[in-house]
Amino acid sequence: MLAEHRDVLGWVMVGPALLILGGFLAYPFVLGIWLSLTDTRIASPGRFVGLENFRYVLGDSVFRLTVLNTLLYAGVAVVLKFVLGLGLALLVNREFRGKRFVRAAMLLPWIVPTSLSALVFYWIYDSQFSVLTWALRTVGLVSGYVNYLGDPILARAALIAANVWRGVPFFAIGLLAGLQTIPRELYEAAEMDGAGAWARFRWITWPLLVPLAVVVVVFSTIMTVGDFQLIWIVTKGGPANATHLFGTLAYQRAIQGGFLGEGAAVAVFTLPVLLVCVAFAYRALRRED
Amino acid sequence: MTVRGALTQIATFYVPLGGFLVFLLFPFYWMLVTALKPNRDLYNLAQNPLWTWTPTFDHFRKLLYDTHFLPWLRNTLVIAVGATVLSLAVSLVAAYAIGRLRFRGSGLLGVAIFLSYLVPPVILFIPLSRIVSALGLWDRPAALVLTYPTFLVPFCVWLMMGYFRSIPQELEDCARVDGASRWQAMRHVTFPLALPGILSCLIFAFTLSWNEYLYALVFLSSTDQKTVPVGLATELVTGDVFQWGPLMAGALLGSVPVAVAYSFFVEHYVAGLTGALKE
Amino acid sequence: MGDGRSVRVTRREFLREGVAALSGMALAGLGVDALRSTAHAQELTYPVERGASLRVLRWSQFVSTDRPIFEENARRFTQRTGVPVRVEYETWTDVQPKAAAAANVGSGPDIVIGFFDEPHLWADKLVPVTDLAEYLGRKYGGWFEVCPQYGYSPPRRAWIAVPIGAPGAAINYRMSWVREAGFDPDPAKFPKTTDEFLRLCRALRARGHPTGFALGKAVGDGNVWTHWCLWAFGGRAVAPDNKTITINSPETANALEYARALYETMIPGVAGWLDPHNNRAFLAGEISLTNNGISIYFAAKNDFPEIAADMNHAFFPVGPVGRPTELHLFSQAYIFNYTRYPNAAKEFLRWIMEETQYSRWINGMLGYVSHPLRAYNNLAVWRSDPKALPFRDAVARMLPHSYAGRPGPEAARALAEFVIVDMFADACTGRRSVRDAIRAAEDRLRRIYRS
Repeated sequence: MLAEHRDVLGWVMVGPALLILGGFLAYPFVLGIWLSLTDTRIASPGRFVGLENFRYVLGDSVFRLTVLNTLLYAGVAVVLKFVLGLGLALLVNREFRGKRFVRAAMLLPWIVPTSLSALVFYWIYDSQFSVLTWALRTVGLVSGYVNYLGDPILARAALIAANVWRGVPFFAIGLLAGLQTIPRELYEAAEMDGAGAWARFRWITWPLLVPLAVVVVVFSTIMTVGDFQLIWIVTKGGPANATHLFGTLAYQRAIQGGFLGEGAAVAVFTLPVLLVCVAFAYRALRRED
Repeated sequence: MTVRGALTQIATFYVPLGGFLVFLLFPFYWMLVTALKPNRDLYNLAQNPLWTWTPTFDHFRKLLYDTHFLPWLRNTLVIAVGATVLSLAVSLVAAYAIGRLRFRGSGLLGVAIFLSYLVPPVILFIPLSRIVSALGLWDRPAALVLTYPTFLVPFCVWLMMGYFRSIPQELEDCARVDGASRWQAMRHVTFPLALPGILSCLIFAFTLSWNEYLYALVFLSSTDQKTVPVGLATELVTGDVFQWGPLMAGALLGSVPVAVAYSFFVEHYVAGLTGALKE
Repeated sequence: MGDGRSVRVTRREFLREGVAALSGMALAGLGVDALRSTAHAQELTYPVERGASLRVLRWSQFVSTDRPIFEENARRFTQRTGVPVRVEYETWTDVQPKAAAAANVGSGPDIVIGFFDEPHLWADKLVPVTDLAEYLGRKYGGWFEVCPQYGYSPPRRAWIAVPIGAPGAAINYRMSWVREAGFDPDPAKFPKTTDEFLRLCRALRARGHPTGFALGKAVGDGNVWTHWCLWAFGGRAVAPDNKTITINSPETANALEYARALYETMIPGVAGWLDPHNNRAFLAGEISLTNNGISIYFAAKNDFPEIAADMNHAFFPVGPVGRPTELHLFSQAYIFNYTRYPNAAKEFLRWIMEETQYSRWINGMLGYVSHPLRAYNNLAVWRSDPKALPFRDAVARMLPHSYAGRPGPEAARALAEFVIVDMFADACTGRRSVRDAIRAAEDRLRRIYRS
C-alpha cells in the first residue's frame, strides 16, 4: 500500500519546490539558453543565429583567458577553503570555554555582505595604503610598495585569498554539522582498540563525512565559479583581464556593452566547465568511500 | 593536567584556533578602526593603520542619521526572514521526498535541481525582471522573497537529502509500527535528528539573502525600500569618493548583530543528538 | 536637426511670444549673458497630461548639495504643474543595469539620467525630444559641438536624449611642488603642450613627487586620460563611417610612446588603480599631479585645508593635433516611450534645463558638473572660485568617446571593455610592446565593430 502512494506523495511533496524553481528558474534558464543562440541586444529582440555567439566567444582571447582564470580561481580557492574549513571544524568540534563566541565569530566573514567586505579588501590591497604592506614593512619583510592589484599574478592571489577568507565559514559550519552527527561511541570504541588520532580520522571521521563533504564542495565550486561581486568591486576583471571570471565577463558584455546574446553565451559556457569541476570533485571524494 | 599535556593542548588547539581567529577576524578589527577614525587620519599614511588615538563617532552618527540605514536594515531583515522561511519549508519537504521516498523519477529530479545553478544571476536577472514585472511585484519586497529561493532551494534540498539519507530508515519504521502516521514520524523522528542540517540550511539561506546585491538592486527602487548592501552603495559611494568611515560602520552594524543571533542557533549543534540514535 | 521639421509648440505659446520675449530679457539680467538669442525666445511648454506623475532615475549625488537642490527644483515643478515627481538614486555605475531591466521589461522609471551612449543602446524605446533639444539650443546660445553627437540618433533621425551636463575633469596639481620643479604654478601658465607637460612631470618626479594616472579599470579617470592622450597625438579608434578601425597608425604609436614616458614619472601601482585611488594618493601627498574631477579639491576643503590651499586645476595639455581633445563623463536624460505621460516628462526636462532651475543646480554643485549650453558659461559658480574655472569648459573641449565614430552600441561596448585603457596599460607596463598592444586593441575593436 505504501508503494502505490509513494509516487504520488513524492511528487506532491516536491511540488512547491518545483513550482518555485520552475517559474523563477527553469523558465529564465531556458530563456538564457535561448538568448545565447540569438544576437539579442539589450533592448532589441534578436534573430536566431545558432552557435554564432559561441564561435565568436571561443575566438576571443579575453574569453579564453577567462576560462583559465576561472579554472585556476575555483580550483585553488575551493581546495584551500576545504582544507581550512575542515581544520577549523575539527578544532571547534569539542567543548571549550568561549565555544559559543568562537562559533559565532567564525561566521562573520560569510555574513558580512560581499559588496562591503569586498571594499575592505579593496583597501587592504591598495598599493599605497595597504595595512598588509605596512605590517610586512614593519616586520622588515618588504621595503617599498607591494602592487597587489596591478600585477596579474598578485591580483589573482589577492582575490583568491579574499574568496577563501569569505568562504571558510561556509565549509566550517557545514562540515561541523556533519562532524556533530558522528556518534561519540565510535571514537570511544576505536580509542579502546588503540587507534591514534590520525587513524580515527581516516577510518571513522572521513568516511562518515564524505557525503556531506561532497555536497559542500560541489556547491562551493558552483558559487566560486559564479563569483561576481568580489571581483567586480576590487578589480572589475583587471588588470589586463587577469581576474575576469564568467560572471564578470558576462556582465560586462551583456549589460554594459548591451550584447545580451553574447553575454548569455559566455554564461552558458559555465555549464561544461562546471560539470567538469563537479565531476572532478565528486570522483575525488567518492574514491575515498 | 600535566605540563606536557598543557603544552600539547596549547600547540594543537589554542595556537591553530588563535591563528584562524586572527585570519578571520582581522578585517573586522580593521573595519572597526576605520569606522572610528576621523577622515583626516584615514588618508594619512604616516598614521598607524591599526589604531587611532582620536576616535570619533561621527561616522556612526552619519550612518544612522543621515542615511536611511535603519529602514534598510528592517527591509533586509524582513526579506531575509521571508525568503528563508519559504525556502526551508519548500526544501525540507522536497528533500524528504527525494531522499526518503525514492519515488519514480526522484533521482533525475535530484540532478535537475542541481542544474538550476548553472545560469548566473548576472544573466538571469533580465528575464527574471520580466516575470517579476508581469506578476506586479516590481519595487515590492515580495519580488525578492519569491526570487531568492531560486538560489537557496537547490542547495538546501541537496543538503537535507544527504541528512535524510543518513538517518536510518529503521527509526522511522519503528515509529510507524508504533502507530505514527508518516507525517508524525517525519515531524517527531526524522526532523529532530536532522536538526544540525536544518540549522545549516537556515544559516545558509538567511546569510545569502542578507548578502544579495543584484536582484535587490534591480527589483527595488525607492530609497526606503532598499536593502542594506544596495542602500549603502547608493548613498555612501559618491562618484569616485567612497565614504569609508560610514561604509565600514554600516558593514559592522549590518553583520555583527546577525552573528550574535546565530550564536544562539549554533548552540543546537550539539552532540547530544547521538543519544537519540542509540534508542 | 533643423531640416525644416516643425517645432512642436502649442497654439497658446505663439500668442505669448511677445510676453516671453520680454521675460527673456528680464532673465538675462540674472547673469546669463546676451549670447542667448532673444529673437526666437518663445517659451515652449508641453501640455501636461491630467493625473500625471513622474519617476526619475538618476545617478547618486557626487556632492552633498546636489540632491537637495535637484529635489527642490522638482518640488517647484510639482507646485507649478501639479505633477508629483519621485526621484530615485543609484550609484552612477548602477544606473545602466536598472535602465536595461526597465528597457527589457517595458516598465520602470519614466525618465533616466545616464551616461555616454546609454540612450543609444535602446534608441527605439525612447521618446524623441528633437523639439525640446532644438528649443533649448536656440534659447541658450547653442549646444556645444559634442552634444548633438550624443543626443541625436541617426537611425531614428531624431534627438533621443537631452544633454544634462558633464562631471568635468582637469589636471589636479600641487602648486608648491610645481614651483619647486621650476614651473609657474599659475593655471594660466601651466604647461599647455604635451611636450612641456612631460617636462613638468619629469621634473616633479626628479624631486620626489611622482605623478599618478589610473591604468586599471577606472571607469572615469582611466578612460578620461587615455582617450585624451590617444586623441592628442592624432590617434583615433574608428573612422567617421563607424566601421573602419583606424587605431593601427603611427599617431597611436606616438601616443603610446608618450604615455610610456609619462608612466616613468608615475608612482608604482597605477595599473591596479580604480577611480578612488588617485583621490586618496593625492590627498595623502603621495602624488603631485593627476587627472580628476573637482572631488579631490572638495574633499581637501573639508578635511585637508592645507592641500586645498596648495592645489589648483589646469586644462589638459594640447597635443600635436593643435586643439583640445578631452573626454569627460557626459550625462544625458532620456524618456522611455512606455511612459504614460510623455508631455509631463518633456516638460520636466525642459523645466530643469531652464535658467532659473539649472543655474541653481549647477551653481550649487560647486563645479562638479559642467553645462552643455553656451549661455551658461556665465554662471556664478565659474566666477566664484578661480580654482573651479577650468571645469567650465569641459563640454566645450570634449570629444565623444566614440571619436571619430558615433556613440552607439559598439562604442558603448568598447568603452565598457576598456579597450583603450587596456592598450595603454599593456604598453606602459611593458606587458606588450607598443606594436602588439595596438594590434591587440585593433583586433578587439574589429570584433566589436564588425556588426
